[in-house]
Amino acid sequence: MESATVAVGHGHADHHHGPPEANESSRIDRQTLGILLFIVSEVMLFGAFFASYFFLRVVVDPPSWPPHPYTLPVGVAGMNTAILVSSSFTIHYALESIRRGNRAGLKLGLVATWMLGATFLFIQINEYVHLGFSARDLSFGSIFYSLTGLHGAHVFVGLMLLTFATIRAFRGHFGPAEKDHLGVEVPGIYWHFVDIMWIMVFVTVYIL
Amino acid sequence: MSSVVKLSEAAVFKWVVIVGIAGALVVAVTLLTRPLVGSLVGLALVIAGCVYAYRWLQQKRHEVGAKK
Repeated sequence: MESATVAVGHGHADHHHGPPEANESSRIDRQTLGILLFIVSEVMLFGAFFASYFFLRVVVDPPSWPPHPYTLPVGVAGMNTAILVSSSFTIHYALESIRRGNRAGLKLGLVATWMLGATFLFIQINEYVHLGFSARDLSFGSIFYSLTGLHGAHVFVGLMLLTFATIRAFRGHFGPAEKDHLGVEVPGIYWHFVDIMWIMVFVTVYIL
Repeated sequence: MSSVVKLSEAAVFKWVVIVGIAGALVVAVTLLTRPLVGSLVGLALVIAGCVYAYRWLQQKRHEVGAKK
C-alpha cells in the first residue's frame, strides 16, 4: 500500500513542478506593466506638485521669483544635478557589466551609484539648513520644500533599494541572464526615473 | 515571454539622456532670454516627449501583435 502511494506521488511529480504557470493575457510583460503603472502613478503625483507650483507662482505673481529677500543657491543645486545625473551613468555601467558577466564592474557601479546618491541627499539637507527660510515662509517656502522634499524622499527610497542590491551583489547574487539580474534592473529603472524627475524639478524651481 | 513588450533599464537610460539634453536646452534659453520663454520651450518639449513616448509604446504593441 505504501509503495503504491509512493509510486503515484512520484508519477505526479514528473508531470508537475511547483505552482501552475500564471496566465499571461496582456501584451505587456508582468514586470514591465508593474513598473509602468508605478511610474505613471508617480508622474501624476509629481504632476500635482508641479501644477501647485505654477498655480502659486501665477496667482501670487510677485515682482520677482523667488520673492524678495529669498534667494536660491543655483550653483550648488546645479552641481548636485550633475552628481545625480552622473549616478545614472554609474548604474547603467553596473547593469552593462553584469550583462557581460563582469561582477567586479557590477559592484563598482552599484557602490559608486550609492555614494553619488548619498552625496546628493547630504548636499540637499545641507542646503535646507543654510537656506534661511522654512516651509512656513510664504507659499514660496511651502511649495519649494514640498517639491524638493518629495523628490528627496524618492532619492531616500532609491538609496534603500540600492543598498539591498549592493549587499546582494557582494553576497554573489545576480548573473548575466536577464532573469538573474532583475534585482538590479528594477531599482535601476526607478533610479533613472528619480533622475529624470530631478532634472525637471531643478529646471522648474531653480532656473525658470 | 518573447512576444510581450518589455521595458529595460537601457531604454529608460536613453530617456535620462534625452531629458538631460532637453533640460540643458531650457536652461540655456532661460538664461539667454526670459523665464517665460524658457517655460514655453520647456512646455513644448514636454508635449513633444509625451507624443514620442506614446508613439513608441504603440509601435512596440503593434510589433508584438504582428509576432503573435
